[in-house]
Amino acid sequence: MGALKRFRSAATSVVALLAVASAAACGGGGSGDETEAGPATLRFSWWGNAERAELMQKAIDLFQSKNPDIKVTPSFQEFEAYWQKMATETAGGNAPDVMQMDFSYLREYSDRNALYDLKKQEGKNLELGDLLEGLKGAGEIDGALYGVPTGGNTWGYIYNPALFAQAGIEEPKEGWTWDDYRDAMTRIAEKTGVPGGGNYIGSYYNLELQLRQEGSLLYTEDGKLGFDKARLAEFFKEGKLLTDAKVVLPIEKGVQIKPSHSLELDLVAGDLGWDNFMARYDKGAKAELKLGPVPTDHPGTLGQYLKPSMLLSVSQKSEHPAAAAKLVSFMVNDPEVGKIFGANRGLPPTNAQRAAAQLEGPLAAVAAYEDALKDKFGKTPPAPPKGAGTLEQAFIRIAEELQYGRIGVDEAVDQFFTEAEETLGS
Amino acid sequence: MSRATITPDRSAEVYTTERTGPRKRARLPGDGLAGYLFLSPWIIGIVLLTLGPMLTSLYLSFTDYDLFNSPEWVGLENYERMFSDARWLRSVEVTALYVALAVPIKLAAALAVALLLNGKRRGQGFYRAAFYGPSLIGGSVGVAIVWKMMFSDDSVVDQLLLTVGIDTGGWAGNPDFSLMMLVLLAAWQLGAPMVIFLAGLKQVPRELYEAAEVDGAGRWRRFRSITLPMISSVVFFNLLLETINAFQVFTSAYVVGGPNGQPAGTTLFYTIYLFDRGFGDYRMGYASAMAWMLLLGVGLVTVFLFRTARGWVYYSGDSGDKR
Repeated sequence: MGALKRFRSAATSVVALLAVASAAACGGGGSGDETEAGPATLRFSWWGNAERAELMQKAIDLFQSKNPDIKVTPSFQEFEAYWQKMATETAGGNAPDVMQMDFSYLREYSDRNALYDLKKQEGKNLELGDLLEGLKGAGEIDGALYGVPTGGNTWGYIYNPALFAQAGIEEPKEGWTWDDYRDAMTRIAEKTGVPGGGNYIGSYYNLELQLRQEGSLLYTEDGKLGFDKARLAEFFKEGKLLTDAKVVLPIEKGVQIKPSHSLELDLVAGDLGWDNFMARYDKGAKAELKLGPVPTDHPGTLGQYLKPSMLLSVSQKSEHPAAAAKLVSFMVNDPEVGKIFGANRGLPPTNAQRAAAQLEGPLAAVAAYEDALKDKFGKTPPAPPKGAGTLEQAFIRIAEELQYGRIGVDEAVDQFFTEAEETLGS
Repeated sequence: MSRATITPDRSAEVYTTERTGPRKRARLPGDGLAGYLFLSPWIIGIVLLTLGPMLTSLYLSFTDYDLFNSPEWVGLENYERMFSDARWLRSVEVTALYVALAVPIKLAAALAVALLLNGKRRGQGFYRAAFYGPSLIGGSVGVAIVWKMMFSDDSVVDQLLLTVGIDTGGWAGNPDFSLMMLVLLAAWQLGAPMVIFLAGLKQVPRELYEAAEVDGAGRWRRFRSITLPMISSVVFFNLLLETINAFQVFTSAYVVGGPNGQPAGTTLFYTIYLFDRGFGDYRMGYASAMAWMLLLGVGLVTVFLFRTARGWVYYSGDSGDKR
């Protein structure tokens, strides 16, 4: 009967979809020439959109004209698809020579012996002396260098000053506390009818910020959680109060507007987030947006740090590590490249590129914001443990269910710790 | 498929043993080989692209495999873990609920439309094409995006509901409505079962209706006592297909709810969770085990449907050696 046949083919296709690779080709990579960058063809993958692809192509063309014996074959996907592809390619022993890397995946790949130690190229084909102070050593794990930052950003507070004025509150000043922040949101919501912000428990970078202000970390050096159940419960409880008081953006709304952000659509008075997103929000929002200091209960300790927004890594299996290192070096040092990208990759990683990039409007504001913070930045935390990406997703999911009222604070905390145990324990 | 691979082999043997006598032409040594050569594109395809990956995933389902390191044998651990995995249980619940809602609604809608389109009317061809249209494009990403927008707040559907006093705050963000949104999307793509229903309706002998009419049977009565039993085999066929399809919903759900099954995990379908475990968390062993559980589950449901079918499915010409 047709149905049965159809069933079989349907069932097998589901299974077939899953069975990705036959066997993981593992082990050390065969490195070709490690010092001389002879003629080579490099595969280079990154995540991004068409706009970034255009800029990237310009930079690659420039690189090829300066290094005629190296050819670069580019490919790109958007973020999620990119990591699916990277995983399968790496498992199949077919990873690109140079790949864009995210901080939260760095250990995932380096722990699995998939990345080349760029220390071997430092000073030869790779120049790192000009990196911004806060980004130096950001791609290092246990003494080896697995990624070079191509941009940096920091967690900040973006807000709409007009709504602060309308509610009759002073704009945030350095030293305002988390209580001030919650008060401000409440008063703005009451006076203007616009939610004072997004619920900050939706992102675990806000927890990280609070933890760093208290002198601890989100993840410890040895890859464990840097907080206990009681601390997470406190964090969730505060956020739950905000949701119940209806002074933050309702989660129903937040879910529907994805992938847009509430600031982009003028739905909130302000929000904590990555400072370089300012450019994106400014493009969409009608309101004039500003960057302000993050709240802290520990005067003098803001908890912010310069985070590598993205890095470049070289595959352990690359046959042309020298040429690959040259490309990486070019991408972070060449002033022309800095000019081409502007702040597309986050703010440029080296002094030379930052000087060359002509930043205007909101981007100039971001640059000024980071400059002003330069001396207050804390130490960049160690690369998050393997599985951090999974945990970040779990955090988002659990905080969402909490805001929907589907689970209570205690259950939310338990769920996250169960997930963490499973993810970090193995 | 295993039956199919064996058949040519056996028939070849029968062929040769029957003709061992001094017949016209002895079997050439290359005969069997030629047969297999002709079959080779298909055999290679099935072995490499279907059977190989299937067996690999069966093996992987008993291992801890993260794509980077060699699989590590863990026995039944993956299968055991599922039953204490809250998200796995949630995904089963969501999928079961979806199948239980989407299949009957879609079939009822398809049958209703088929009944309307069965009569003789001007422009019938146009209407049929119009109703079939959505199932050509319904599975695409674009439609899913539009669908999500349609059911957000400030959108057509929500504003219409507001005018009659129903405030959902947007289906896409409301955990109580999000699944219904996908059920409606499925029902909207009623083209395929509709066409099959139409074909079935055409097979119902006119004279049965005429006889019933003479006996004074009303429309409903005629539908209940003639149409439904006469097309029961078609209903069964559609039921089976749609059930199996519904278990595998992925694209639209992924677009609407993402890997977390937003809002609040109410669109966390089995396939979505499977994909997320495999390609999001790199837990391929667990994902493989999940795939096999899905196969088992769909298989059981199918067997169950076949069992019940004996009671209510009527095949016209059911007198001879039909099962």
